[in-house]
Amino acid sequence: MLAAAEGVGRRVIAGFTEVGLAAALFIESLMWLATGAARRQPVRFAAVLEQSIEIGIRAVPIVFVLSFSIGTMVAIQGIHSLRIFGAESQVTFGVALSVTREFAPLITGILVAGRSGSALAARLGTMKINEEISALTVMGINPVRYLVAPALVAMLLMLPALTWFADVVALLGAGLYIAADLDLSFVAYLDQLRAVCTVDDILHGVGKSALFAVLITLVGVINGVQVSGGAEGLGRLTTRSVVHAISAIVIADMIFAYLATRG
Amino acid sequence: MSGVPAIEVENLSVSYDGHSVLRNINLRVEPGEIMVIMGGSGSGKSTLLRHLLGLETPQSGTVRLLGQDIRRMTAPQWQDLRKKMGVAFQSGALFGSMNVGENVMLPLREHTKLDDATMRIMMRLKLDFVNLSGCDHLMPSQLSGGMIKRASLARALIMDPKLLFLDEPSSGLDPVVAAALDELILKLKEATGLSLVVVTHMLESAFKIADRITVLDRGEILVSGTIETVRNSPNERVQALLNRRVEHLELNPEEYLRRLTGTQGARV
Repeated sequence: MLAAAEGVGRRVIAGFTEVGLAAALFIESLMWLATGAARRQPVRFAAVLEQSIEIGIRAVPIVFVLSFSIGTMVAIQGIHSLRIFGAESQVTFGVALSVTREFAPLITGILVAGRSGSALAARLGTMKINEEISALTVMGINPVRYLVAPALVAMLLMLPALTWFADVVALLGAGLYIAADLDLSFVAYLDQLRAVCTVDDILHGVGKSALFAVLITLVGVINGVQVSGGAEGLGRLTTRSVVHAISAIVIADMIFAYLATRG
Repeated sequence: MSGVPAIEVENLSVSYDGHSVLRNINLRVEPGEIMVIMGGSGSGKSTLLRHLLGLETPQSGTVRLLGQDIRRMTAPQWQDLRKKMGVAFQSGALFGSMNVGENVMLPLREHTKLDDATMRIMMRLKLDFVNLSGCDHLMPSQLSGGMIKRASLARALIMDPKLLFLDEPSSGLDPVVAAALDELILKLKEATGLSLVVVTHMLESAFKIADRITVLDRGEILVSGTIETVRNSPNERVQALLNRRVEHLELNPEEYLRRLTGTQGARV
């Protein structure tokens, strides 16, 4: 019993340590971004660009497929459930809000966590096992400046951009289905959309995705640098990073939604 | 620089979780000499090296690199010192995402404002020095073990360091390649006059390249001196290491039983 309690206590402390480490990494990354150039260690634009292509551009096809499907799916379910009340003509209202405020940021966040968050953890983990992080340090190249800051900036640029793209594609998918099912012209659907969907709704989703970007990066980095014990450890922590990043995204989403709808 | 030792370690002790890894280490590396640190697995030589590289902060005792106490250095001072140090890691630690040429040029790119053509010339010079000319476009995954070690050495040398660390330069290589690498290290010393610290467990290599040898065992320095001093050391553990004798640990029956039964304390 005592041992179990001790185990729980240890895990809680370890959890808090990780959160603290993540916060410290975040602050250190911001510091390098702000003062790196003056300290003769700038965060390189080329590194940010390279990461942006990997995180953002390469994810465009899969984001397209998933958000188109999600948009269509929300439209199908919306029409199905509203038909019970004979209110299926109101489906655009539900689709517009749920896609821009929830589905687009969430599905994009989960996708990027699985694609790029895990890749970041695996890359840093491999580098750690291979002594590459120590090599950077002894060369006088700060690993946070060289590896973490560019990934953070790229993620902060790309995840909101992908979310906005997912908004557009999901609403397109939903529109095509609604227009076909309710015998509505696509232009009329766009008119309805314009009437119900505000800039606030879009910003709610895009703003959330910026928060997700920070979470995905930090979870990936924290897990990557904790890798030890070769390939097995690498696999375990890469998986862990995906699970943690998705959990962090979903929980942060709930808190964000609660706070943002209070005001 | 004359008179100031390249490395000076005084009373360095390190323990992790109550387990003592290094005890009271005192070590001096003079400018221009090759100091070989020898020891078997678990002797503490990796921990000592991490302290000499400034990757760990001493828990007690002092480590001075090129006359500067590593515990009292500011970030810019570290930055300047790092440019005077080169390290070739055991695994090579080449960045897998860059080709050999980019790996070797990385310190130049990050620390200097040289134009690309100059950097390329310097890179080719260093690759030529380690007999890897024409390999700059290869990826690290395409290199053999010996080539990785040499590319890593070229990267360590690119900033023309005053202090060079080589971690197990010849381990995992076949005897011919290992011997060639030893020759390269001697050539390097002759050509540049830098101070070298070589960590190895390869006896042959150590005796070939060393000016002085420090033998480390279970966290303690057993002997430190010239090759002759080490060869003639009366210390049994040193002789065991030199003659590759298997050491039989003295076994306390009670302790052994306790270990087997997994019981803590005196209850057996």
